[in-house]
Amino acid sequence: MSPKRTLALLIAALPLALALAVAVGGVRLPLAGLLGLAPLEPAQATILWSVRLPRVLLAAVVGGGLAVVGATLQAVFRNPLADAGLLGVSSGAALGAVVAVNAGWAADVFLALPVAAFGGALLALLLVYLLAHVAGRPTLHGLLLTGIAVSALAGAALSMLLVATEEFRVKTVLFWLAGGLEGRSWPHLGLGTALVVAGSLLLWGLSRPLDLLSLGEDEAASLGLPVHGMRLVFFAAAALVAGAATAVAGSVPFVGLMAPHALRPWVGSPARRLLPAAFLAGAALVVVADLGARSLSARYELPLGSVTAFVGAPYFLLAIRRGERA
Amino acid sequence: MSAPAILLEARGLAAWRGARPVLHGVDLALRASEAVALVGPNAAGKSTLVRALAGLLRPAAGEVRLLDRRLDAWSRDAVARAIALVTSEEDGAPALAVRDRVALGRYPHRGPLRPYTDVDRAAVDRALRLAGIEGLAERTLGTLSAGERQLAALARGLAQEPQVLLLDEPAAHLDIGHELQLFRILDEIRAAGVAVLAVVHDLGRAALWAERMVLVFRGRIAKDGMPDEVLRSPAAAEAFGVRVRGHAVEGLAHPLYSFE
Repeated sequence: MSPKRTLALLIAALPLALALAVAVGGVRLPLAGLLGLAPLEPAQATILWSVRLPRVLLAAVVGGGLAVVGATLQAVFRNPLADAGLLGVSSGAALGAVVAVNAGWAADVFLALPVAAFGGALLALLLVYLLAHVAGRPTLHGLLLTGIAVSALAGAALSMLLVATEEFRVKTVLFWLAGGLEGRSWPHLGLGTALVVAGSLLLWGLSRPLDLLSLGEDEAASLGLPVHGMRLVFFAAAALVAGAATAVAGSVPFVGLMAPHALRPWVGSPARRLLPAAFLAGAALVVVADLGARSLSARYELPLGSVTAFVGAPYFLLAIRRGERA
Repeated sequence: MSAPAILLEARGLAAWRGARPVLHGVDLALRASEAVALVGPNAAGKSTLVRALAGLLRPAAGEVRLLDRRLDAWSRDAVARAIALVTSEEDGAPALAVRDRVALGRYPHRGPLRPYTDVDRAAVDRALRLAGIEGLAERTLGTLSAGERQLAALARGLAQEPQVLLLDEPAAHLDIGHELQLFRILDEIRAAGVAVLAVVHDLGRAALWAERMVLVFRGRIAKDGMPDEVLRSPAAAEAFGVRVRGHAVEGLAHPLYSFE
């Protein structure tokens, strides 16, 4: 299948996934009504407009954003297993969320939790970047290890805070950490979409520098790329997108790893093709995963993060077994 | 006839690698159409010199001049349009097609946003043809042999259309067929006026190909001259710790060398 056909297929698949996810749920919505061919009952219209549609669109934005971040960081780190977790973004967001809950802001102020999570993600990245630069310009290896260290620190702080959090609030944190889109509505969508779309478009616009970085530092520099400055731009944009996605959806693992990895054999690694393809695939993946999260069990809504991990972990074990180095 | 213009020049160049001083006061000038082999034992400073000449390392002392202007007075893009660096290929992006990889050589001409034009596509086609890898253009790097990947890296350098081509051990992974092909390509672009400087490990090959040989030892230029003169010098014997003997062979224009 050529890259163009793959893209065309993805462009066709996403609306299908969206339509399916909007129609199916605790209350089924008739397809004819969704397409405007027949009137919806008032209750159905309410479910569509205030529950289903914002949630499904948010799933698409979160999935697309995480996949673009994965594709970006895999190129910058020249490692097919890189994702937002490496820069401390995920753990920083988690810590920010727990701070907001612990302090009681999350319960009192609308959107306080996602905003705090977003702040935590950016602070973690800033910390990684500053610490890595203490001894001069860092190598990729140095950046990677600093990211792991900062993630571990944030995780430790999170555990301490969790112990000190009142019991009735702990459940909020746990639900958020597990990842999920329950109860998200238009304001969440607005917040997430603005940042994810802006950051993704910026990354797409920088496709050529991204390809250069994937060839290695010496070659990129010899072609006139300001390697260190450009890396900072990519990290900042990636943290913006991943931070925004994590802020509204909690932790949704494996999407950033899986979507670009699965597509690279089909569309190749040039970012101008890989980033949009990864966005579409990641969006469809999370839309379907969220559909599964709310319909697989009749009694509970499953955590979205568990669903993506249950799909992503076996995918990766298989990919490793096949010895793929894409 | 006056000598061709100096394109790239190091003056009193000293450079560090991390916390280690590697080059001490190197003077070296490259002229148009020159073929220079940079030789020397391991860790002599050859790679560091090549990177400093390409502007990838900031000199600790001295300067590198491009067309008689300090390298840091040029923009990054201008330097990359004039000087191409090809290193020995490790594993680059394996899912990148050869044509896309070679097209990145046009980056200094177009920057991040301006679309590629027919001029760029023609340069890429020319580079692929010159490197003899037109047939591999649509293959991805991960499916190539080490020698083919090296030729793809060289083609990227050719697509840059530089005035100076610097190569760090370009023959490192090549079998003899690819090696001969590589040096033939270097001769062709040299004939087109490009100054070519290559780090070459095989001294016999270096002597055959180059018209000038520069011996680097302990971060200094120990000898600079005709290949035969450099190889037979006491400096070469000291640097490599071997005795070099040249043997004239009937029917061959160049002497063959043996090392003891």
